[in-house]
Amino acid sequence: MTDDSPYFMIMKLRGLWMLGLLLFPPSMGAERLSLNEQKIPRNLEDLRAIQGALQSHLERARAATVCLQMGEGSGSAVIISEEGLVLTAAHVTAKVDEEVKVIMEDGRELRGRSLGLNSETDSAMLQIIDDGPFPYVEVDLEDSTILGDWVFSLGHSGGFDKKRGVNVRVGRLVKQENSTIQSDCMLIGGDSGGPLFNMEGELVGIHSRVGTSREQSLHVPIREFQAHWEELKKGDFIGEGGFAQKVEPGTGFLGLVARDSADGGLEVQELFAEGVAEKAGLKVGDRIIEIDGEVASEEKLTARLAELGSGEELTLKWISGEETQEKTLELGARP
Amino acid sequence: MKRIYLILSFVLALPLSANLLPSELRKNGALIQKALAPVQVSLQESSAVFFNSQESRSFLFGTIVSEDGLILTKASELDEVADFYVRVGAKKYRSPKLLSRNDQWDLVLVKIEAENLRPVTMDFTEDLAHGTWIVSNGAAERRFRRPRVGMISANKREIPGGSPAVLGVALKVSEEGLVASAVSEGSGAEKAGLKEGDVLREIDGAEIENREEFIKYLSGKGVGEVIQLKVKREAEVIDLAITLVARHKLYPKEMDRNDQLSGGLAQQSARRSGFPMVIQHETTLTRRMMGGPLFTLDGHFLGMNIAAVNRVEVFAIPAKELAEVFTALKP
Repeated sequence: MTDDSPYFMIMKLRGLWMLGLLLFPPSMGAERLSLNEQKIPRNLEDLRAIQGALQSHLERARAATVCLQMGEGSGSAVIISEEGLVLTAAHVTAKVDEEVKVIMEDGRELRGRSLGLNSETDSAMLQIIDDGPFPYVEVDLEDSTILGDWVFSLGHSGGFDKKRGVNVRVGRLVKQENSTIQSDCMLIGGDSGGPLFNMEGELVGIHSRVGTSREQSLHVPIREFQAHWEELKKGDFIGEGGFAQKVEPGTGFLGLVARDSADGGLEVQELFAEGVAEKAGLKVGDRIIEIDGEVASEEKLTARLAELGSGEELTLKWISGEETQEKTLELGARP
Repeated sequence: MKRIYLILSFVLALPLSANLLPSELRKNGALIQKALAPVQVSLQESSAVFFNSQESRSFLFGTIVSEDGLILTKASELDEVADFYVRVGAKKYRSPKLLSRNDQWDLVLVKIEAENLRPVTMDFTEDLAHGTWIVSNGAAERRFRRPRVGMISANKREIPGGSPAVLGVALKVSEEGLVASAVSEGSGAEKAGLKEGDVLREIDGAEIENREEFIKYLSGKGVGEVIQLKVKREAEVIDLAITLVARHKLYPKEMDRNDQLSGGLAQQSARRSGFPMVIQHETTLTRRMMGGPLFTLDGHFLGMNIAAVNRVEVFAIPAKELAEVFTALKP
C-alpha cells in the first residue's frame, strides 16, 4: 500500500481533526482509543488490547441485549435507558403500537410495545411496559466511531437459546454511507435489530441486513435514529420504504360470509375457495363463538375487519360439530 | 416454522473510496497475519492436512496427538473421501491408516508413518470468557498453515442431537412387543429386509425387554457396526443383519433460511449436532477447515474444531474431553 491510498488519506484527515481537538479542547469528546489509532494490530499485545476493551464492556452489553418475539417471528434489540426504551430494526417490529415479547439473556420475559419506525432506513423503537429499572447501554450520540474502528456485535442469532446465550462477534467498521454502516462482524437471521458497539461500549448501530458475500454486514447508524428521534418515540410510521409496510385498515380479508345465529355467535354461510378461513379449517355450518376473545356477532366481525389490514391477525373460536377450535388467522389481501 | 429476521441485500461493490476500508486491513485481511506469527508456529507444527488423492485438494485438517504420527480428525468428513493422503508441514504421508473411531464425538484416530512430530498438549482446562481471541487454520496451503482469528462467542455447552448411528426404524409398542411402524428409505434396516409390522424379538442374541433398553443398547453402537436382529413376521421368525448408518446422512437437517444464508452444505458441516460438550466461536470457517487445532493467542491448545455450523457459529471439542476420547481410542 502506498501513502496515497485512501486509508492514509483518512489518517491524514484524522490527524487534522486531532489538531483541531488540541486547539479547541473543551468542545470535543474524549480521546480516541489507541487500539483504533493502529492501522492494524502489529502483534499479540495489540490484539489483547482489543480483547481487553471488548471484554470490559461485554457484561453490560449482554445484559441489555434482548430477543424480540412477535407471533412466530424472532429478532434482537437493545435497551438504551433505565426506563426500558429499546432500539431495534423496522423490519423486526414491522408495525407501530403492537405488543411484543421481550426476552433477556437470562430468560426473563417482559412485555413491550412497539413505538415508531422508519421504513426507509430500517430503524425502530420500542418501550418495555413492565417496571424497571433495566440494564442499558450508552449510545454514541457524538457519532465518533469512524472507518477502521474496532466494533463488536451481539444478537440472538437464530432465535432465543438460553443455553447458548447471546452470540458475540468482533470486527471493524469497513464502510460508511449516510444511512448505512458496514462491518465485518458476521450476522445471521435472528440478529436483526441487535446492537453494534464501539470499543468504549457505546451503541453505534443496529443490525439490518447482509450482503451476498460472507463478511458483509450492514447496520443502521445511530445518526439515523437521531434524525427522527421524537417521531420514533411518538410512534410515527415514517416513510414508504421497503423495510416495513403500513397497514391500511379495512384491507384484511377473511374469506367467509357469516350471519348471526339463533344459538348465539355467527354461523358460517359461505367460504371462499383457498381463503384464509377455509385454509384454517372452517366449514360451512360451523358456529363462530368468539372473535379476539369477545362474543362473536356480525356487528363485532364487521367492526374488527374495518380496523384490520392485510397481514394482521385475528383470533377466532368456533364450534365444528362436537369440537371447539381456536386459531389465530393472518388476514389475506382483498381479492 | 419460526421466522427469524434478517434481510439479504445485494450490496454493490463500489469502487475504492475514502469510505471503504481496504480488504487487507479487515479482521481476516492479509496484514493481520504478521501479528499472528507466534501462534502460526503452533498451527504449523500441530496441524495435519488431509488431501483428496484424486483432486489433490485439501478437504480437512487434523490435530496431531502423538510424536509418532497419531492424528485425530472429524470422522464423518473423512468417511466421504475414499482415497486420501496427509501433509504435516510440507511433508507428504501416503497411505494413512484408520485405527479407531468414536461416533458420539464424530472423531476418528488416524496413523501416519512419522516420527518426532510436535503433538498438542491437552492439559489446558480453563474456560475462556466470551470475547477471547482464538486462532484456527484458515484455507489450507501446501506448506504453510495460515492462521485465522475469531473470538469465543457463546456459552460452552452440550449440543443435543440423538445417537449418531441409527437403524432407520420407527418403533411402536404393541401387545406383541416392539413393532417396526415404519422403515426409512435407504436405511440399513430396509436393505436387510426389515418390514413394517415386524415384531422385534432379540438383538445380538439378547431378548428385547422394552423400548428404552433397546434404544439404550443401540446408542452405544457406532456408524458401520452390524447388529443381529431376530424378528417375528406373522408365523415366521427371521434373522436379519443390519448395518447402522449415520443419523445425519439418513435424516439430514432440513435446510432453513440460516442454512441458505450460510452457503448450505458446500460450507456447513453435514454433521453439526449431537456433541456432549462444545466451545463455540465465531471464526469464519467452512466444513473443509474442521478437524484442526484451536489455539489461544498464547499458543495453548484449547480444543479441536469439529463443526462449521453456520456463518456465525463454529463448534470445537474442548481439550479435556478430547484427551479422554483419545485415551480410549489409542492403541
